[in-house]
Amino acid sequence: MKIICFVKLVPDVENFKYDYERNVLVRENVHQILNPEDCSALSVALKLKQENIDVQVETLTMGPEGCRPHLEDLIKRGVDRSILISDKSYVGSDTYVTSRIISRYLEREAFDWIFSGTHSIDGGTAHVPSQVAECLNIPQMGNILRINQAGLFSDRVRTEVDSEDAVLQFEIERPAILSFQYSTKIKLPYIKYEDLERDVSGQLEIVSNSRLRFCDTETGIAGSPTKVSQVEVDSFGRKDTRFLKCDDEGIEEVYQFLKQRGIVCS
Amino acid sequence: MENDKLMKNISTILTDDQINTDPEELYDAAADRYKKYAKARKVLDVPVPLAIVYPKSTEEVARLLAFCNENQINVIPRSGKTATEGGLENWKEQTIVIDALHLDKIIKIDEYNMQATVQAGVALQTLEDELNKVGLTTGHSPQSKPVAKYGGLVATRSIGQFSTLYGGIEDMVAGLECVFPDGHVSRIKNVSRRAGGPDIRHIAIGNEGTLCYITEVTVKVYRYFPDNNKFYGYLTEDIETGLKVLREVMVNGYRPSVARVYSEEDARQHFFHFYKGKCVLLFMAEGNKGIVEATSRGIEEAVDKFNEGIIEEVPSELIENWFVNLNWSQQDIDDEFEGMIENDSHDGFTTEISADWETIPKIYHNAIERIRKEYNRVHDLTMLGGHSSHSYINGTNMYFVYNYSINCAPEDEMRVYHHPLQKIIVEETLKLGGSMCHHHGIGKFRNEWSKDEHGTAFYMLEKLKKAFDPNGIMNFGTIYYQEEGAKYQK
Ligand SMILES: Cc1cc2nc3c(=O)[nH]c(=O)nc-3n(C[C@H](O)[C@H](O)[C@H](O)COP(=O)(O)OP(=O)(O)OC[C@H]3O[C@@H](n4cnc5c(N)ncnc54)[C@H](O)[C@@H]3O)c2cc1C
Repeated sequence: MKIICFVKLVPDVENFKYDYERNVLVRENVHQILNPEDCSALSVALKLKQENIDVQVETLTMGPEGCRPHLEDLIKRGVDRSILISDKSYVGSDTYVTSRIISRYLEREAFDWIFSGTHSIDGGTAHVPSQVAECLNIPQMGNILRINQAGLFSDRVRTEVDSEDAVLQFEIERPAILSFQYSTKIKLPYIKYEDLERDVSGQLEIVSNSRLRFCDTETGIAGSPTKVSQVEVDSFGRKDTRFLKCDDEGIEEVYQFLKQRGIVCS
Repeated sequence: MENDKLMKNISTILTDDQINTDPEELYDAAADRYKKYAKARKVLDVPVPLAIVYPKSTEEVARLLAFCNENQINVIPRSGKTATEGGLENWKEQTIVIDALHLDKIIKIDEYNMQATVQAGVALQTLEDELNKVGLTTGHSPQSKPVAKYGGLVATRSIGQFSTLYGGIEDMVAGLECVFPDGHVSRIKNVSRRAGGPDIRHIAIGNEGTLCYITEVTVKVYRYFPDNNKFYGYLTEDIETGLKVLREVMVNGYRPSVARVYSEEDARQHFFHFYKGKCVLLFMAEGNKGIVEATSRGIEEAVDKFNEGIIEEVPSELIENWFVNLNWSQQDIDDEFEGMIENDSHDGFTTEISADWETIPKIYHNAIERIRKEYNRVHDLTMLGGHSSHSYINGTNMYFVYNYSINCAPEDEMRVYHHPLQKIIVEETLKLGGSMCHHHGIGKFRNEWSKDEHGTAFYMLEKLKKAFDPNGIMNFGTIYYQEEGAKYQK
């Protein structure tokens, strides 16, 4: 059984830099992390692989070549093969074009299941998995909490899906895209000390436009139907600042402030 | 000697309630904060000690040491347990930890002669609170102040956040009492100064438990004027501007109690609410009114002189508020420990070095650049920066601070992350003639560079060890490199 896992590298939002003079996020040299929900999905796949020798796990990433060390780490954690779709002409593609690019790669690939996260922490639109499913004409399910793993080996898998006020069950037929929610219960395996320096470059493949063959007008900003008319960045400028002492009075004031906003209850 | 027999002998020196063999406590005693993450994850690779013992007097310490010395049993002296460099880590199968828990008396506060005498197990905060009641202060304020105790503070040559005014612990210790492995008790008397040969206080100060056990300390105390404190903060273009201002203040003879500059990355950790992506320079002027006024003027003049690199002044309340909450309590330490059990992360690591004014920026940039270029897990770094927090007329320190996503097994964390990073910093420091440890001590993980640190003067350290601890029972592996311990290092 072959599972392809979507893995996106996203900026570490806890560690971003903000340029207060230009009022923009500084994207250069920002520490990148694996999108947490993608990690959860990949962790499920790798656990399955650990328990079943005939499971093959591949990752699929679209991004700059700078993603390499992170993808090599995934191979060292047990991924069989890692694909990086990377081409200068793809920079600036919106979710629709990104989905088309990913789908074109997948059209010629054999797989049983695709795993992904539901959202990414930088975009958060949840578009890509469902759009890829649409392009490939296969079903997709988002917000998955759990799956009945045995089902993956048959033609149907049962999923438990978070729908805010209830947990619903759905069955999906193979092949399909299963998009998971973040879970703290399952983690990626560690990289073994002996594997840290292992050369895994042979298991990492870079796919560029020379293989996928889009024309210039189909990708990047030019090819993207989403037009950004204006970006409004939340200003981090100083709000009314009040200084409180760390005494009973100060604590009471903070408590009342939070209470008024419903952040704490009495 | 067999373990059973050894423990029987110990119980002839101490009562049962002074001997702790609780497995969890022994596991805790096997390592300090250097291997904090492996410890929290229960994967420590070092042997646990046989017992933790709690002597109640200098005589009991002397008898314990003499017994261990005769029977070649490793001894680890312990006080507040805040060691960060492996000073409390155990590398021997037969080890006794001598804890200063019951050496907890404040013996005397001498307001007229401005001295206080305490036993080794008195927490710094305890003495500080007592002194504050009578308008005095210890002047010593390491971030571990609520937890660290005098035995450890002296043994590590610790330094506090007000060091620019009060100095390090070595400037405060008037005299002390210590016990050597053969059971000999030495009392160094308390005088204002002496020229009776070499200053033998320094055999005990900074010995990190490798030469003697410190049982009692007399420190100088100072008048306390908290109401006069004034705080200053500035955003600066770069760390160099901050260092230049610090130097200007120092060479002009001013002694603010706090004088610090933070790199952008380190500033983000501390001053997220106002740092605006810049370096942060800050001061605190302390003392009686006239001194505070003069110091404040000195700070303002120095800032003025380098104003092209100063972006803006920060409201002093922000600096004051930050400062009030800087210390780590036992609760903070425990919270980090709990967090490490649940998550693949911790609050980061540090390496503190020092050099002269000219060299410190070079070391800073060389080390950071080399880490970025050479370190093979650079993509895991979530933070890399530093600050200077202790300045002198001829130079300053640099406190490198770093953190990372941990992608290896907890037992490998040190050799994959902290140790290689520390190695680069130490190598770059020694290359330019700086000191590889400014205030945490050498512990067990910088011992491979002890010879390089001291050069031809290492001869003196070696002779001290041979003279005072010929059987090598005192804190095996600390300061002095031991091949046998290398397996626990890398
Ligand atoms: C959160 C945090 C903040 C810190 N901030 C600072 C800081 O600002 N400045 C600073 O200098 N350090 C700092 N440290 C490091 C540490 O607190 C100091 O090294 C402190 O002096 C150790 O004191 P302790 O009582 O905890 O000693 P311990 O941790 O018990 O022991 C430290 C070392 O001293 C030896 N030792 C202990 N007691 C004796 C004794 N009675 N006789 C002989 N040897 C003995 C031990 O064998 C060990 O090698 C910090 C540590 C932490 C965890």
